[in-house]
Amino acid sequence: MKPRPLRQLRALVLKDLRLELRTRDTVIAMILFAVLAMVLFQFGFGTRQSDLTKFAGGLLWVTLAFTAVLGVGRSYVAEREQRVLDGLLVAPVPRMVLLVAKAIAIVGYLIAVEILVVPLLGVFFINGPFWSDIGWLFLSCLIADVGIGILGALIASLALFTRARELLLPVLFLPLLVPLVIAAAGATNAVAGSAHDLVQYRNYCLFLVGYAVLFGLVAYATFEAVFDD
Amino acid sequence: MKGYGERRAVDRVDLSVGEGEALAVVGPNGAGKSTLLRMLATLLRPEAGELEVAGCRLPDEAGRARGLIGYLTHDPLVYLDLTAWQNLELFADLYGVREPSARIEDVLDDVGLLSRAFEPVRAFSHGMAQRLGLARLMLHRPVVLLLDEPHSGLDAQGAALLDRLLGEVRGTRAAVLVTHDVERAVAVADRVMVMRLGRVVESVETAGLDPAEFRATYEALVA
Repeated sequence: MKPRPLRQLRALVLKDLRLELRTRDTVIAMILFAVLAMVLFQFGFGTRQSDLTKFAGGLLWVTLAFTAVLGVGRSYVAEREQRVLDGLLVAPVPRMVLLVAKAIAIVGYLIAVEILVVPLLGVFFINGPFWSDIGWLFLSCLIADVGIGILGALIASLALFTRARELLLPVLFLPLLVPLVIAAAGATNAVAGSAHDLVQYRNYCLFLVGYAVLFGLVAYATFEAVFDD
Repeated sequence: MKGYGERRAVDRVDLSVGEGEALAVVGPNGAGKSTLLRMLATLLRPEAGELEVAGCRLPDEAGRARGLIGYLTHDPLVYLDLTAWQNLELFADLYGVREPSARIEDVLDDVGLLSRAFEPVRAFSHGMAQRLGLARLMLHRPVVLLLDEPHSGLDAQGAALLDRLLGEVRGTRAAVLVTHDVERAVAVADRVMVMRLGRVVESVETAGLDPAEFRATYEALVA
């Protein structure tokens, strides 16, 4: 018997998907939070500003950053509450496989949220063409999600073994997310409404790729130690 | 050696369990039994000393050792929101079990849960969940069994099953059983080790040992 990392990864991702389909308590909470935040932003700005297009990227990514905190915070809930973590840790699973599986789950949660929230952005905040550029918006979301997923999985795993995890998680996660929020908001603004600056969009997306690679390397270098003791 | 702050949870423990041998570790709360077992299970890293499990030096060869270890605690270490089958399918993939469906069917049959295979574990009693934990333990045919209070919460059928498994260990695998139950330790193990305040205070062969007499000795040792 020789465990194969890809088989292990598929099993762990399938497990998270099955748990979410059965309980539906993470994605639903994230969607509700994100939609409510967008609605509140709309009420907060709507009557005073006639054109919020230039704020659209910021509004979207502040919303998604806080929504991600919810998803990241819940990413180990089943393992913690159902006391399964030791069962996973004594299995011959490379620690990186555990991290990648959690990152994929977080990316999945975020995509589910974005499918609803990105069109809402067009409805609430963007004047001018929107639907023709929605593919670009989703592409930048996807690239940013990978960075959020890796960082989120790393921080969630770190916080898992601390007593003040609910406090520690956003305190560690949100500051490290700032560069990603800036770049993702920039990419959104570059293609939102009448703006169609694909050079700027590409540069921001390259930054997002770099961000994901950087935190991928950090995770690779540190993740074994996170679960060690 | 392993400590938590100033306190040494496991201190200068020297033990060796051979193939086919079952060792029971007994002691009062805080004796260091579970910490010792968690170190053997690669869940804790010793601060000093040498550790080898199934021929793998820890922590350097922890990855290889994990594939050879079966670990069961008083929690079944399974997901309550998945079915019994889905849980075992997950662990079969994690351990690289060949022909997983046939093996899952076998172990579920062994623990008497085949008819409940597709029900979520949340619907099980604690005893049934613990029997599923036993199925998870046996799924990948481990060569070293590390059992931390595994009888806790087991129903009579599960306890008998576990005792049968421990009986089978003799001659085939190695087992370390942590328990509070001194009489059971004498009944199922080849050797009983008594721990107190992180140290081994007694280690005796169980052959010919009278459980009642040993309980009196044990109580004097941990008093």
